This record gives sequence, structure tokens and C-alpha cells, in this order.
Amino acid sequence: MRTLLSFFLLLSTIVANAQNAAPSWLESTLYGSGKINVVVGVVAIIILGIGIWLWRMDRRISNLERKS
Amino acid sequence: MQRTQKNARIKLRSNDQRRDNEQLFRAMKNWWKFLGIGLLLLASIAALRIPLAPALVHVSPDRIAPGTTDITITGYNTAFTSGALVKLVNEEQQVCATSVSVLDASHLTARFEVPAGMKANLTDVSVDDLIYTGALFTEGLGAGITSAVCPETYPAPASFTFPNRSILYESIRNLHFHVPMWFTMIVLMGISVFQSIKVLGNNSLDNDLAAEMAARIGLVFCVLGLITGALWARATWGAFWTNDVKLNGAAVTGLIYVAYLVLRGSVQDAHKRARLAAIYNIFAFMLLVLFLFVVPRLNAIDSLHPGNGGNSGFNDLDMDNSLRSIFYPAVLGWILVGCWMYDLRVRAARLANNLDR
Repeated sequence: MRTLLSFFLLLSTIVANAQNAAPSWLESTLYGSGKINVVVGVVAIIILGIGIWLWRMDRRISNLERKS
Repeated sequence: MQRTQKNARIKLRSNDQRRDNEQLFRAMKNWWKFLGIGLLLLASIAALRIPLAPALVHVSPDRIAPGTTDITITGYNTAFTSGALVKLVNEEQQVCATSVSVLDASHLTARFEVPAGMKANLTDVSVDDLIYTGALFTEGLGAGITSAVCPETYPAPASFTFPNRSILYESIRNLHFHVPMWFTMIVLMGISVFQSIKVLGNNSLDNDLAAEMAARIGLVFCVLGLITGALWARATWGAFWTNDVKLNGAAVTGLIYVAYLVLRGSVQDAHKRARLAAIYNIFAFMLLVLFLFVVPRLNAIDSLHPGNGGNSGFNDLDMDNSLRSIFYPAVLGWILVGCWMYDLRVRAARLANNLDR
């Protein structure tokens, strides 16, 4: 629950910052070589997200094992 | 004596066989998990490996005036050869290149004798069967020129490629990663509301548990969809967050489901919580449908997302059959993986409940 809320908070801070400053390395990474790096970033985010979910699930099951 | 041994051996063998059958049955029962991972694997490899169609992406200079002009044309995934047929097209009237020098597979310079008096403001450039529409500003406009007859070009042999659209370019592949997140979220929220409706009928705490867990996994996909969408938006629309209706609708939907979990946490009595959460969940799903499907399609509202602002669904410009043939397997694969995550989460929660009791 708390993690989810912090996710949304994190997202909103990214959003708030994005409109003022545009870091140039990001700019050049996202716009270079036919924008393939956008796809790399998206795939990385998804794998990381599923990884975080797996980690939490792992901890949850470890707790169950300890209790039983 | 011998007979009993033989019988025992037969019995043993049939036991083995039964165990094999049970294992097979268990594997069969999990067929959808294999299908999900298989589809995801194939669709993801295809989404990353299938090349973009060749296209012309840049011309320099970007304007033509009457007289001799050299124009350098840059292509993407092209295979320019010395026999390339280059021409200017202005309202169906053509000007053929007088000479073409190919620098490499994606760069060539063409020389034109540009006549005065072309009709339209924008002139298209074409190399073989590739066309860059509106590539050049035209100076010295007039009533029109006599069209030259350039050599015929033949379409390149058809190959399996993704469409090469300006602004999107390679990022069109994100269609197979970003969009399935939302499809999966919607399916999981659908499962959640289905379980909630069951709760209203039978007051079952188990259905309530399933509804909660489906919403939680749905939120995981919602967060992934928002973050991947933000990155894609930065590269195509220029900002991580825009005031697009679908973006704000998706964010509000996410918050509605966070509120659903907050509501659950605030009620102590399990049966009361189940009924209250079920009623809230039905409203939450109605709002999801409203925010993600109805509001973005209203005629008055324009959206940056394809398939919104008056037209329903993707049109031919946004999707073609090569994209579809990878997109639908990817969607099904992600939905199945989402359901698997939900299945694991429900089973773990049931175990936790049994241990607490």
C-alpha cells in the first residue's frame, strides 16, 4: 500500500520536474539513432517493475514459510 | 509365486503410469501459463527484431528555387543504388533528376534543373518507390509546369516490416510493450469487479480476497503503463506528462483504485469491508470505462493518443497488419502473465489467512 502511494508520488515529482528542466543527455539519448533507446527504456522499466513485484512476492512467501 | 510377482510388476508399472498421467494432467492444467510465456517471448523478440520499412527522413536544403539545385537526401533502412530514380513531384507535375550520385545506402545527392512556375507551396521528393511528402518549400510559384516523364519505378518486393512514421521511427515498437500493460490492467480490473459482484450475491470473503488481489495486480500494470507511457511521451510529444485526456484519465483511474485499497484498510469488520469494497469497486470500474473509453472518444476533446478524439479505435494510419500480427499475441501474452501473477497473489493470501487462523 505504502509502496504504491510512494510510486504515485515519485511519478508526480518526475512530472513536476520534467516541465521545467530537460537534461540534455536524456534528450540526446531519446532522440538519437531512430529513437530505439526509447524502446530499450520501456522494456527496462517493465522488466524492473516485474522484478520489484517478484521481490515483494518472494518476501511475502518467506514470511509465510517462517510462520508455518 | 511367479504370478504374484508378475501382478506386482504390472501394478508397479500402472502406478508409474498413473503418476506420469498426473504430472501430465498438472502440466495440462497450467497450459495457459506456458501459452502466456510463449506468446510473450515470441511477440517480444518479433517486436524488437522486425526491421522498420525504408523511408526518406531528411532533405537538405529544405527549399528549392528555380535554377540548378543539388539536394541531399537521407534515408532510413534504405538501399540506395547508383540507378536510383529521383524526382520532384509538385501537384502531379514531375521534375526528373539530371544526375544522381549515391554516397552510401542511405545518402544520395541529386541535381535538378528546377523550372519556374510550380503551383503548390510544398514539393514532394521521391526516390524509387519511396516518397517524402511535403519535403521542400517551393519558391518562384506560378501557374504550373509541363510535367516531365520520368522512368517508371517499380515497387520494392514486399517484406515484413513495421511502418516507418516520422516522429515515431523506431519507437513504434513500444506499441507491443506499453499498450499491453493497459489491456492487462483493464482485464484484471474486470476480474476484480466480477469477484466483487459475486461478493454482493454470496457474501464470500474468498471472493472479496480475489477482488482485492486482482485490483492490486491491476495497479502494478497501471504504474508500469504510466511510467513507460511517460518515457514514450518525452520522445514523441516532448514532455513526460501532457494534458492529454487519456493520460489524465489513466492517472485518475489509478488513484481511484488506490482509494479502493485505502477504503479497504479503513474498515475493521471483514464482512462489512467486503460489501462496502464490492460496491465501491463497481463504481470504480464504471469510472475506469468512462475515463479510458468514453471521455477520450468525445468529439469535442482532442487527444494525442491514436484512435481518440472522435474516432473509435485505431485507424489504418496507426496500425497495419504487420503491427497487428505482433500486437495481439503480445496483448494475450501479457494478459495471461497478469492472470498468473494474480493467481499467485491470491494463493499466497489464502495461505496467509489459513496460517493466521
